[in-house]
Amino acid sequence: MQIVQYLINGIALGSVYALISTGFSVIFNVLKFSNFSHGALMTLSAFIGYFIAAANGWGLVPTILVAVVAGSLIALLGEFVAFRRILIRNTSPIYFFVSSITLGTLYEGLVVLKVGANFHNYPRFFGKPIKWAGIVISQSDLIILCISAVALIVLAFIIQKTRIGRALRSVSFDRDTASLMGINVTRTIQFAFIVSGALAGLAGVFLGINYTLYPSLGSLVVKGFIASVIGGLGSLPGAVIGAMLLGIVETGLISIVGSGYMPVFTFVIMLVFLLVRPRGIAGSNIQEKA
Amino acid sequence: MALYTHILTQILITVVSVAGVFVLTGMTGMFSLGQAAFMAIGAYTSGILVTKLSVPIFLAWPAGVILAVAVGFIVGLPTVRLRRDYISLVTLGFGEAITALLNRATALTGGASGLTGIPKETTLTIALLSAVVVIILITFFKASKYGRQCIAVRSDELAAKAMGINVPKVKMIAFLISVAVTAYGGCLYAFYTAYVDPTLFGWKKSAEWVIMVFFGGVNSLTGSILSTFVLSGLPEVLRFLQNYRAIIYAVLVLLVINFKPSGLLGEWELTPANLKRIIKRAGQAKQPKEVR
Amino acid sequence: MATLKVEHIYKNFGGVKAIQDFSIEANPGQIHGIIGPNGAGKTTIFNVISGIYPADEGSVYLDGKDVTRMEQHRITLEGMGRTFQNIRLFKGLSVLDNVMCAFDPQSKYGVPGSLLPLGKRFAEEKRGRDICMNFLKMVGLEDYAKERPENMSYGHQRRLEIARALTCRPKVLLLDEPAAGLNPVEVGELTELIQRLSKDIGFVILLIEHRLELVMNISQFIHVQNFGKTIAVGTPAQVRSNPEVIEAYLGKEGG
Repeated sequence: MQIVQYLINGIALGSVYALISTGFSVIFNVLKFSNFSHGALMTLSAFIGYFIAAANGWGLVPTILVAVVAGSLIALLGEFVAFRRILIRNTSPIYFFVSSITLGTLYEGLVVLKVGANFHNYPRFFGKPIKWAGIVISQSDLIILCISAVALIVLAFIIQKTRIGRALRSVSFDRDTASLMGINVTRTIQFAFIVSGALAGLAGVFLGINYTLYPSLGSLVVKGFIASVIGGLGSLPGAVIGAMLLGIVETGLISIVGSGYMPVFTFVIMLVFLLVRPRGIAGSNIQEKA
Repeated sequence: MALYTHILTQILITVVSVAGVFVLTGMTGMFSLGQAAFMAIGAYTSGILVTKLSVPIFLAWPAGVILAVAVGFIVGLPTVRLRRDYISLVTLGFGEAITALLNRATALTGGASGLTGIPKETTLTIALLSAVVVIILITFFKASKYGRQCIAVRSDELAAKAMGINVPKVKMIAFLISVAVTAYGGCLYAFYTAYVDPTLFGWKKSAEWVIMVFFGGVNSLTGSILSTFVLSGLPEVLRFLQNYRAIIYAVLVLLVINFKPSGLLGEWELTPANLKRIIKRAGQAKQPKEVR
Repeated sequence: MATLKVEHIYKNFGGVKAIQDFSIEANPGQIHGIIGPNGAGKTTIFNVISGIYPADEGSVYLDGKDVTRMEQHRITLEGMGRTFQNIRLFKGLSVLDNVMCAFDPQSKYGVPGSLLPLGKRFAEEKRGRDICMNFLKMVGLEDYAKERPENMSYGHQRRLEIARALTCRPKVLLLDEPAAGLNPVEVGELTELIQRLSKDIGFVILLIEHRLELVMNISQFIHVQNFGKTIAVGTPAQVRSNPEVIEAYLGKEGG
């Protein structure tokens, strides 16, 4: 029973990591760079959800909606101010790094300006944990798991079955050719940022529920990055699998070593993974073009 | 006067760290978001050795630098063969791990309340001397065979390999030099403020250094140092800006990236030859006026 | 044994068979031309020989040494120089420094000498500069040493790529479309340069080129590629009269 309990808790934790890692991977796929503003975007949209919705007594669903919309809009704006001209000028990809790092400090700076170093808490959205056959699952875990699963399925559907999803895949594959084929590359990239921002907003609220709301909440994005590396950088299914694995392993480890040392262990797991299987579980092989 | 000495010393310590980041980011095009964690290793190791084990400083500081380089080697090893994204992702995870370690290993580090009682040994003179020596070393490095190879790797990894350049080795050398310099900056810092705590070494610190390098000019050490003075001096002088510090940096850099992507100075370096040229140009500019 | 010996190499990308059974043997002083329509896998052959991609099957020998599974930079140091179809010079370095980068792996001073004015550093730097200036002179760029490559004309950039490849001290030089984008005068100069290098240095040159007159003029042997396969090998005269070649490549070009 203990094992089942760990698995359930691990998957619940992993589902939030999966939101982070997929949100990160969507941008990585399209523009082939690591978007380091993703973490701070999670914080910023979680706080917007808090101040607009939760602090005014609105429920869980409106809070999520506000955060998701905020995340999308900010990501869209971020694309315009930080990445658009780099894309157009086709300058060195190292500028994407600088831009995204800068954008990250900007988002976090805005949060600090508003709340200082204070902690905030979402109101209690959930009732008592559910007990069944010796297994305890908190309502928050259950609901987070369900909403994350729905979000990921919707994401998979959009990417696999819709027109814009196909455009996204072809732009990821080869931007220039996609453009020659009549795909509006700018629109497609904007769409990727909207999707990524929405996932960041959702993940931000869930992190805020699981922990508390504080300005450097976004540093938990590291878990999503590690999940992506384990899963195989650039692979969406890999990102989900890596996140679930990380969630389960962490849940197991926390009971042994405590949560304080967790970042050390997740870091070591990532390092070992890179040494043994640098291409990740999904075996993606992202290389610079020859 | 004391205030200015204080500000100047702090800026010079930052100059040391930024010069280290310049080698990695400016010259080689790699981004470490855990660079501040190496500063932490230097600061804590030297601090602990001196306060808890009474090791003399001239041994404790090198020990801090050497430990940081050893750890840097392990962190760098899996990443130097891979795409550049990996070193950023791995160092970010590394930074979080170090912060967690510093917070938890209370007996050794003092945990969240920090390491106290470090003797105040770093003076303005030592900071200035350190900055000058580091700048000289890196100037030599930039003009050396490894310096050129770093720039080649930044520009085009594949072509670099085709010219026989051992890219993983060059990346590792750049990474370890920058780690060593940053860790030394950590020693200076700890023995200046006499107190360190884990919050000082988060990813935002590393991000700030990257921003300083890019603001000044991607390929210009002169620019990086100049922008360190401007960006860290400004909020010190204009105290009311303190809270907006991060935001001002970000907006400035976004402006630079959008409108002058090579940074303020681009590739320009302050060399004797360039200095002569400036003086000459200034002289020529004056002459016509005198004629009139 | 031949200086360059490539035995039955294969390379697939997903379902695309980029190279199917390519072999070549080349001796010092020879120029081998590789021709074929776009997408025939010519550049892939260079990329496999120079170690950018590993071959799926087959072997590459350089001076009798098996270099098939070696790392790319090791192969270069064994004596493989190359240029790129889409010029890949180092931005942020001067013309001389671009060439120096190819000398640096041979330079004999270490990290301490890089950080400090120690030991052999200055002697080695001077030796490198002399060698590199010599190669720049060989391609006629000695007056541009301090320029930035991005400010030079296309033709000069192509020559700089050749000088950089020469500094690797190659036994085999791979030239990937060196005449692309050049005007007729520049093509003439380039032809003369390649022939002079072949005679003076006496290495193996493999040449991918779309301008048939250039390839046919200076190559002793021609390999014709189509859809990853070698459809003809021989002297320019033999290849010209090969019916399959005329149909697959020359015919299309001519018609």
